[in-house]
Amino acid sequence: MTDHTGHTRAHPAEILAPNAWGGMSFQERMATAEFRIHHQPHIVVDGKVCADCSTRECVVACPANLFVPTSDGGIVFNHEQCFECGTCYLVCNREGAISWHYPEGGHGVVFRRT
Amino acid sequence: MILACLKWVTHPGEPHDERFAGISPADQSALEFALVQAAALGLGVTAVTVGPAGAEKVLRDALACGAQRAVRIHSAGTLSSAEVADALAAAAPAARWVWCGDYSLDRGTGSVPAYLAAALDAQQALGVISVAWQGDGVVATRRLDGGRRELLSVAAPAVISVEGATAHLRRAGLGALRAAASATIDVVHPAAPAHIDEAVVRAYRPRARALAAPLGEQPLDRLRALAATGAATATRVETVTLAPPAAAARIAAALREWGYLD
Amino acid sequence: MTARSVPTDRDVDVVVVGGGPAGSCAALVAARAGLSVVLLERGPFPGSKNMYGGVVYPRILDELIPEWWNDVPIQRWVTRRSTMLLTETQALTVDFRAGAWGAPPYNGATAYRPDFDNWLACHAQAAGAQLITSTTATGLLRDSAGTVIGVRTDRPDGDLTAHVVIACDGVNSFLAKEAGLYEHTDAKHFTLGVKETLALPKHVIDERFGVRGREGVDIEIIGATGGVNGGGFLYTNLDTIAIGVVLKLSKLGAQQQRPEQIIATLKQHPAIAPLVQDGELKEYSAHIIPEAGLTMMPKMTTDGMLVAGDAAALCLAAGIWLEGVNFAMASGMYAGQAAVEAVQANDTSAVGLAGYQRRLSDTFVLKDHRKLRRAPALVLSDRVQHLYPGMVANVVERMFRVDNPNPKPGVRRIFNQERKRAGVRRRDLLRDGWTGFRSFG
Repeated sequence: MTDHTGHTRAHPAEILAPNAWGGMSFQERMATAEFRIHHQPHIVVDGKVCADCSTRECVVACPANLFVPTSDGGIVFNHEQCFECGTCYLVCNREGAISWHYPEGGHGVVFRRT
Repeated sequence: MILACLKWVTHPGEPHDERFAGISPADQSALEFALVQAAALGLGVTAVTVGPAGAEKVLRDALACGAQRAVRIHSAGTLSSAEVADALAAAAPAARWVWCGDYSLDRGTGSVPAYLAAALDAQQALGVISVAWQGDGVVATRRLDGGRRELLSVAAPAVISVEGATAHLRRAGLGALRAAASATIDVVHPAAPAHIDEAVVRAYRPRARALAAPLGEQPLDRLRALAATGAATATRVETVTLAPPAAAARIAAALREWGYLD
Repeated sequence: MTARSVPTDRDVDVVVVGGGPAGSCAALVAARAGLSVVLLERGPFPGSKNMYGGVVYPRILDELIPEWWNDVPIQRWVTRRSTMLLTETQALTVDFRAGAWGAPPYNGATAYRPDFDNWLACHAQAAGAQLITSTTATGLLRDSAGTVIGVRTDRPDGDLTAHVVIACDGVNSFLAKEAGLYEHTDAKHFTLGVKETLALPKHVIDERFGVRGREGVDIEIIGATGGVNGGGFLYTNLDTIAIGVVLKLSKLGAQQQRPEQIIATLKQHPAIAPLVQDGELKEYSAHIIPEAGLTMMPKMTTDGMLVAGDAAALCLAAGIWLEGVNFAMASGMYAGQAAVEAVQANDTSAVGLAGYQRRLSDTFVLKDHRKLRRAPALVLSDRVQHLYPGMVANVVERMFRVDNPNPKPGVRRIFNQERKRAGVRRRDLLRDGWTGFRSFG
């Protein structure tokens, strides 16, 4: 049955600040899309594999900005506002860093005006 | 028979778009409890909704999850909570257990379960935050003020409304989902409402009250007179021990005195 | 319709994975021929996961839904197409209007995919296909010989067997990969599309873009993607506009530029800013595009399975032509027809399903891709992206600049000077020109 929570969640504090372009915070930007969040992450990132990655293209390329480098050299990933586009696993050059699936049916992003 | 009452509503942001319609997490929890209880008691679940044809989608989903029968009480317009409760009670007068969500997606008044308990002359446990099974009965936990909890031992016939995160609705199987697509849904048309409530909708705050003019030569004296007696601001706290009908009458009298009721 | 009994050894005749334009057309065709069809969609409704660069060309639907324009939920009919070439301060626009495109049978339309795809899936349902939403296909079922005999879904009791599986599961197509139809996946074959849907009152859109009623505009943009190879687009819906960029995946990381940043830069361009001013962001979205055409296409058929739409990399991204939904609808339709043939002939092996590849080859689907096979690489090449726009814009600027008392210089001289200034070798220019001529000519 349709899980109908239809609410977006908070995002890591690193990107809450309004940016220079358009005065809209990234969190506000992401809040314009609906995400029906499943409790189990559909994408799992193995931070150990990422630790020695120097390019980290996922951090720049992910349109939802879900890959956040940590001060200890790892990467934290939050699946909740994922567009399910596939950018991250396509740009990733480390075997086994990202295990990628679609979320359980009925969950994840729901577009309306795309 | 166990009844699961599901309220199908369109999304507040997309009021005319059935793609974004559904039932609340509370209703999903209610259905899950109904299914669990039905399995334990060896009974069947009837899923029921009051709404237009589009609402049958949630009934088919309920059938796919394991409900035995689905009933749609036809309604194209807006009914009051009492009318909805009467229609539900008329459609399932023999219901032993009735499970409802504590709130719907459109956050209505949440009063249908109470009306329904009255209409069915059943026990009620409303706004339940956890459920335990005890023999053929249910022990329901409710929130009280000040972080306290109330445990209710409930026996059939009863109406129980549950909060959203109390149970996680099972995922329907593929075969069941395919079968439910062509399952029969009973459609009943409610009788004309027996009573029409002229509900007065207004915010819950006391009406203005007339007080006797305070005595005093100067404005300051009059202000002091008002403040000193406490007539304008005092709330009295009293604890009384009365039989339920007398207690209800006492509460109503107090509310009237304070201006909450006309 | 030919009546056919439900198969005893399989749950259904055909299972179509993905309720996008390819899947719905495949399901529609197969169901209309009397086959039992299940159409699986992982979103809560068809179209809910889909996003694109804005224009759908539905003429292929003439074959499936006569007078489809009477009930298709579109936003505006595209009657004005522009191609813009931008440098930091310059803009060269080629603008074309066709009044005829605003009346039946129309040409292209802007539409919201959650509306359009859902509408198409309703037609498939009306034809008799069973749509199952909120259900993700997680893998293939195969028999001991390796023949695909169905799909596994993420529901309890979730296996569904079928004579033919039509994988229309989108650009990431895990089913096509699992079936071994792709030799390899290479990031350089994909672009990332990001888009903002901005709300503006209808009359403001009409005034800014010079259109009326249901007329709409589609603008393709080259050269404002901040050093990342790609392109931009801007088009009108009824009371929103959509602006976005398409970015070469392999360049994003290298340039250290975030996608939404590149849209923001585009929106600030002096030629774009007045068009998008005061638009309130209604939805931000992203999707991957299979950009490399013929270079990346998988094998289309294997025993018991066909692949169509983006899953088969059938998107056409050739600069001035950016099409995908029509290729998806056509390939889905042909996959459906081939599945019907195969099921009726009782041979759903790759040989029995060969009608699919034949239809693709005989129609625009592969003919366009073959003709334009060099175009995607050319359009995304560094010269076209970073050198030519500035060169061309400078030539035009000098042509139109009145530099009195100096006399007007000859265009050829300007061109040669600007070519040298841009650092473009004559040899490369001729070669690119020849490639372009062979593709587009």
